[in-house]
Amino acid sequence: MSVPLTVQANRYPPGDLAIWIFILAELGVFAVFFAAYAFARVGDVALFNAGQATLDRGAALLNTLALITGSFFVVRAVALIREGDNRGCVRWLLAALGMGLVFLVVKGFEYAHHFGAGVTLSTNTFYMFYLSLTFFHFMHVILGMVILAAVALKARAGGYSAADHSGVETGASYWHMVDLVWLILFPLIYVMR
Amino acid sequence: MANPLPSDLRDALSPAARRPWLRPCTRVYLVLVGLTLVTFGIGASGLGGLPLALAVLGLALVKGQLVGDWFMGLRGLRGPWRWVVALWLLVPGVLIGIAFTLASH
Repeated sequence: MSVPLTVQANRYPPGDLAIWIFILAELGVFAVFFAAYAFARVGDVALFNAGQATLDRGAALLNTLALITGSFFVVRAVALIREGDNRGCVRWLLAALGMGLVFLVVKGFEYAHHFGAGVTLSTNTFYMFYLSLTFFHFMHVILGMVILAAVALKARAGGYSAADHSGVETGASYWHMVDLVWLILFPLIYVMR
Repeated sequence: MANPLPSDLRDALSPAARRPWLRPCTRVYLVLVGLTLVTFGIGASGLGGLPLALAVLGLALVKGQLVGDWFMGLRGLRGPWRWVVALWLLVPGVLIGIAFTLASH
């Protein structure tokens, strides 16, 4: 009997399909935000460039590296749980949570600096976009960390296996979405002028 | 039961031996870090202008596609879900490009 050598490609992304619907909705909201920022900038380029010059690009670099590294750690966690390694999965998830914490601390210092300088949502259009966009993303990082922590707790209790690990993939997909959004947000707000 | 394979052959056939020195996802991670540093370098240079802004945007879109393909696992899919991240990157990417082009005139 011959064995078919073709591999059937999946039609659906990893994890629960419901999280992907949620991810699409989130991505749609961020896309509107990004476009609104870019077109608002057309009206007063000098204001946006001056506002951008007050931002800490080094902190943004650190945060970008933290999110990319966190995403990489989550990839490793998923790879290990696919081999049934709950303990290894937990280790990488904790490392990813550590990267999330780095992001929150660095961003917290950035906010403290701006608020200390008297910057608010109503300072000008640039800061309105900067604060609302980055804080909206900040909240998503927190939610992503809560999801990863819940997944790590279940993995620690041996709740996943090589055959049943959809929960890990679901949490991972959300975390990657948070990373993906920042990969556009970082150059748009901090670099492009 | 004794393993019939010699130990050196057994080691050569083990999953660890078959694993490449750098996993694909590790290579993608290093590319992402490299592109991020390039983006930061462009920003730190203080240079502006439409060509550089569009180049930075292009780098961001490439990074996003790498995350979608390799980290989110869309690379091996068939059907509409395969292109969901690409489409998401394209729409705001084009709009941002148009807005920055308008702003440069």
